[in-house]
Amino acid sequence: MIVKIGAIFFLSLSIGILYRVPKALLFYGAVVGVTGWLTLQAILGLNGSIVIGCFVGSLVVALCSELLARRLRRPATIFLIPGFIPLVPGLEGYLTMLAMVRGNYLEGIEMAMRTVFMGGAIAMGIFVISTIVHTVSVLQTREEKQDAS
Amino acid sequence: MEPKLREIMSITLLAGEVLLRNGAETYRVEETMEHVGLACGAQRVEAFVIPTGIIVTISTEHGEATLCTRVKERTINLSRVVKVNELSRRLSDRRLAPEQARHLLERVARGRTEFNLGVLIVASGVVGASYAVSQNATFWEITPAFLAAMFIRYIAHLVSHFRMVRFLFEFLGAASAALIGIAAHQVMPEINRDIVIVAALMPLVPGVAITNSIRDVIAGDLLAGISRALEGILTASAIAMGVGLILTIWRG
Repeated sequence: MIVKIGAIFFLSLSIGILYRVPKALLFYGAVVGVTGWLTLQAILGLNGSIVIGCFVGSLVVALCSELLARRLRRPATIFLIPGFIPLVPGLEGYLTMLAMVRGNYLEGIEMAMRTVFMGGAIAMGIFVISTIVHTVSVLQTREEKQDAS
Repeated sequence: MEPKLREIMSITLLAGEVLLRNGAETYRVEETMEHVGLACGAQRVEAFVIPTGIIVTISTEHGEATLCTRVKERTINLSRVVKVNELSRRLSDRRLAPEQARHLLERVARGRTEFNLGVLIVASGVVGASYAVSQNATFWEITPAFLAAMFIRYIAHLVSHFRMVRFLFEFLGAASAALIGIAAHQVMPEINRDIVIVAALMPLVPGVAITNSIRDVIAGDLLAGISRALEGILTASAIAMGVGLILTIWRG
């Protein structure tokens, strides 16, 4: 488990390097990635479904990214991208393709649905948090404008 | 165009172009251009940005002008996005004069990144290897995954001159990952081919396209959101086709 946490840390860190996140901010993205992945593992440990795990994991990732973005005054994307990559259903996507190539269409469609739902759950998690943050910031600027006028 | 207006226009467009070229969200490009333009002394700035171009109208007390720029090539360099973001913040707080901002922007646009090719290749390898570790791979599976992921990054460097051929890099990268996976399995039959291939494909995941499309849709830029989502879907398809082609030939 410790080895895996280390692996996920370096996975997120290296994704940050590939997207050329500034050096000083790489560490934060990696920590966000580990947090999201641990959330997914915790849900799987509680016998939750992997789709719910992806959704909650992505909620945690997005929340951490937005909080870090506010605190450090940097775009949330640079924490969000390294953060959600460990949740991506890479193996499921590959198995979909493999089943389709072998002509096992039934198995392929089952895997495809699993991949789409996991990906959709990740997207929904980011969507929910970003919507809340967006609404809050719109309300805040409106208040500031009213105070000024 | 009156000189003052021309000055504001060029700084604003430059800021927008640098952001859009390096993988910023569309709404961020629009907002930043607005902030930069107003900080430089414009009365009104209207920016319309889609992933492939910018249209901006700026008005000052002396008149107004509209310019349009096409952005054909895009890469991903988030450190430039961060730098322009910081710069626009400083401009808005009046901690930076417009003349200095222009100079700094040009430096950001041309500046080398802090990571050179060697670091990027190793980072790509680490992505592959660490994904393999998280999937319970053995040492003999982690090593080919590391090498294959490193090789994928090197291919990206080789085909970077052919940017006009879209998704060539993803296709070739996926195909070579599949070849390396099959080769590793042939050399040592106890190696699980699938783990090696999946791990090597991890650096190809279109992370920026996915996040930007979600964030653009939320910000109300539906057009930009859809085109980014399409980019992500096409990238995934190119990867699937690259692997699928090799595995079909191999009768996997």
